Amino acid sequence: MKNGIAIFIAAIVALGASWCGLVLAPSLQLGPARLTTVLNSTDTYPLQRTGEASLGLQVYRANGCAACHTEQVRQDGIAVEVMLTSLGTSKAEDFKAFVQSLFILPELAPVTNTIADSLQAWNGDLPKIFLVTGDKAIADEMVQRVNAAGVKSQLRIAPSGPDLARGWGTRRSVAADFLYDQPVQLGSLRAGPDLANIGIRQPDANWQMLHLYAPKSVVPNSTMPSFKYLFAVRKMAGAAPSPDALALSGEFAPPAGFEVVPTAAARELAAYLLSLNANVPLYEAPFTPVTSAKP
Amino acid sequence: MNPNENKSSASGSSEVDASLRVPLLALFGGAAVWLVVGLVLGLIAGIKFHAPEFLSACPLLTYGRVAPAANDAVLYGFCIPAGLGVMLWVLARLSRMPLVLPMVPVVAANLWNLGVLIGTGGILIGESTGQPWLEYPRAAAVILFAAFLLIAVSAAGTFGWRRERSLYPSHWFLFAALLWFPWIYATANLLLNTVWLPRGVVQPVIGWWFANNLIFVWLALVGIGSAFYFLPKISGRPLVSSGYALFAFLSLVFFGAWCGIPASAPVPAWLPTASVFAALLTIVPIVAIAIITVKTVWGARVSCQGGPFCFIKLGVLCFVVSGLMYVAAACPQASRVLEFTWFGVAQTQLQLLGFFAMIVFGAAYEILPKIMGAQLPFPKLAKLHFFATLLGVLLFIIPLALAGVAQGRALANPAIAFADASHAGLMFLRVSTTGQLLILVGALCFALNIFVMTMKWKLALLKSLVAAVKAPLPEAPAPGDSEVKA
Amino acid sequence: MIDDSKKDCCPGSDTEPTVTRSAAPMWIIVVTLVLLFFGALFFDSHGDLGGKQIYTPFTSAEQLDSFQPKSGADAALARGKTVYDSVCGICHGVDGAGKPGQAPTLVDSEWVVTKNFNRLAHIPLVGVNGPIQVKGKDWSMSMAAMGASLSDDDLAAVLTYIRGSWGNKAGAVTGDDIKKIRAEMGKTSQPYTGEQLKAMAE
Repeated sequence: MKNGIAIFIAAIVALGASWCGLVLAPSLQLGPARLTTVLNSTDTYPLQRTGEASLGLQVYRANGCAACHTEQVRQDGIAVEVMLTSLGTSKAEDFKAFVQSLFILPELAPVTNTIADSLQAWNGDLPKIFLVTGDKAIADEMVQRVNAAGVKSQLRIAPSGPDLARGWGTRRSVAADFLYDQPVQLGSLRAGPDLANIGIRQPDANWQMLHLYAPKSVVPNSTMPSFKYLFAVRKMAGAAPSPDALALSGEFAPPAGFEVVPTAAARELAAYLLSLNANVPLYEAPFTPVTSAKP
Repeated sequence: MNPNENKSSASGSSEVDASLRVPLLALFGGAAVWLVVGLVLGLIAGIKFHAPEFLSACPLLTYGRVAPAANDAVLYGFCIPAGLGVMLWVLARLSRMPLVLPMVPVVAANLWNLGVLIGTGGILIGESTGQPWLEYPRAAAVILFAAFLLIAVSAAGTFGWRRERSLYPSHWFLFAALLWFPWIYATANLLLNTVWLPRGVVQPVIGWWFANNLIFVWLALVGIGSAFYFLPKISGRPLVSSGYALFAFLSLVFFGAWCGIPASAPVPAWLPTASVFAALLTIVPIVAIAIITVKTVWGARVSCQGGPFCFIKLGVLCFVVSGLMYVAAACPQASRVLEFTWFGVAQTQLQLLGFFAMIVFGAAYEILPKIMGAQLPFPKLAKLHFFATLLGVLLFIIPLALAGVAQGRALANPAIAFADASHAGLMFLRVSTTGQLLILVGALCFALNIFVMTMKWKLALLKSLVAAVKAPLPEAPAPGDSEVKA
Repeated sequence: MIDDSKKDCCPGSDTEPTVTRSAAPMWIIVVTLVLLFFGALFFDSHGDLGGKQIYTPFTSAEQLDSFQPKSGADAALARGKTVYDSVCGICHGVDGAGKPGQAPTLVDSEWVVTKNFNRLAHIPLVGVNGPIQVKGKDWSMSMAAMGASLSDDDLAAVLTYIRGSWGNKAGAVTGDDIKKIRAEMGKTSQPYTGEQLKAMAE
């Protein structure tokens, strides 16, 4: 290039293109986001946080929790499961025979092996997932034929992935999950477990505060540092500890006659963590919620 | 002196160098201090990883504050001002003229240090914005932006009024960098650090765009632009070639700017896919830069012996390695395992400390003797600096990357409990902390050299000032004498 | 400044660097174009730029749509539509508007949009012999017992479907309801006349 103007133009075009694609376009698509509804329900999503929980988000930000924790669940794949919930008047052997008889159908050819494998060692326990496939059409067909033969089976949409298998969520995180977060704390390193649904996994505020004060007291081989400065150690006012004092024992307990009480920051942070809950099916991340196992 | 220079209008190099003395001492001096501060904070953060109760009682030093403070101190406190210093010198030399408005970068350097101080303090007391790589509170961001604009004015003036009118490849990289930073910094701060904060997941998207454009593209523009100046200069061979360098420049700015969105981000699929596409294409400028460097220095009869040439070659090598690490981690199969692990941290730190810091060190050791008109006070420390940094980068980055791979593979297997997965990398983390310590030792050598050089110069200035004050006044002839004698 | 004659000159002499004047090699340009092509293919197959938010692992709006779990009500409606289209729609039209000379409309029909479904259910079970008045028009034709061969659930699904589609807002019918009506009906085999239907409870 011969002169400064040419460099200037090249830089503007390059940066401008990336600005349009990565700043402008997402703002246009995701910026005007509003509440969405839970799948197959009239509930709106997400729920607005209570006062204490939104203050807790600021405590989370100020202490840099996002340096070690992520708040996003990943999903590798989506599968459809056919779950047998009731045999009706038939016996397990009859059902197996019936399913075998369907194997001659050409449209079910891709899944005959997986069905045969899953039914081979089946002893008749219900509910039984006898087909897992990525092809919704085949699963639909299976459900219709099997239901028409007098048993009850159900189609389930089941997302899959290591994060989901760890119990960190039942579906992937989507834009709607972060609608009310100011700022969004996605995190980029998993030095600690993912927190997107920690409000479901650890719904007890006392556990959360114990974990903040002395992580090793509730998770023995934890690598999390303690956040003792979010708590105050004070003399017990009387013989019994006050109701908000933490129930510590062993090496973590304060000296005799003293109790550990959470400050407002600790309470707010615990409230925020309890509000982290994203396990509802949405249109863009569908799944069949697990209902009671009874058919 | 180059006989081809047009002597009547171009300045001699010593004049050019002299005009840059004060601005570069201000920029490099502040940068060296912030590098040491950032590396110390980083060392504390690194130790906390395998000894979580280290300094845990102090809220200012909790990991979640110390780690971002360390990263920002290295990036904003050291990399950017030192990079700007190198840029100013290269532009002035290529323009064959002294720096335009030389006092403006001095003011800017001091403003910059103030901004980084406010920013670092802000993060440590809990006022961080929560956006990765953009944690500085609003006040600090405004100060840094203003300081950058001041330096950009001086640099743009030196470029615009250059006496040597033809352009050299470094010009493209460095001039583009002058435009790049204000745009991305202003956009990111206006959208993420003010009341115009957008709703929801748009925030991290802008954050990723900004971080990629600063840490990958901007540092590459300044670092490679400087490398393309120093490598041919020190080796005495010409840069190979202008068309190749143009291709590398254009592919870097067009493809590199689209990277950054991680594969599993909670955003519609087209965004991470666009970034994966861009990452694939980014192989092209990385390979081009590698080939240009190899062709330029291969067979050069200069041995570097731990000097600036070594630093710059190593810097370009680290650029290529870190770029390829990024591309590899962006592939969907690999990102499933490597995302959210230490691998990403290793790649970023290699970019900052392996690539950019090395280029800056090499350039600084080349520039400082010239602008001061004196040799380095401790040349052996400069050599120690090189070997300490080389060993330090190897010990810091490689185990960190391996820790990331171990952690990722354990996390991808749901049968392994999380606590065991996080312990998988602990041994590697201990080794990488020793690497951090070595890099800190090297940085101390660098800071010491600059500090002593600055002190010597200031003392010499003071001495000459005192001498000028103390010198006896020349005798003035009395008005009436000459008439009487005649 | 750009000077090809200076090769390997005086390292350490502090001259400004020079650069050789040649273009980028063709192979790297070809590699770039190949990568652009394959990358575009990848983007096309994985990134849907439509209005809807498509997240991985889904690759298209159609695929996302197909994976929506149906609630019980939706399943019945879907089933009802399938049956309607194949059994009733031939005469009453896929849009329920009827066809002149073949069948009356079901849209906003006083026989369909009723509080109770008892009378409506009898129609497909046994059939109708006209004349019968539908929305002010006289229809002097016969309808066969199209629903006699349908199962309880299927007939219930069809009736739910017509009572809830095309703007009709009437309640659903369940398979058990149909079972009860069939039991009460017993062995009636003659189609109803318009007068008989009018006299029947809704």
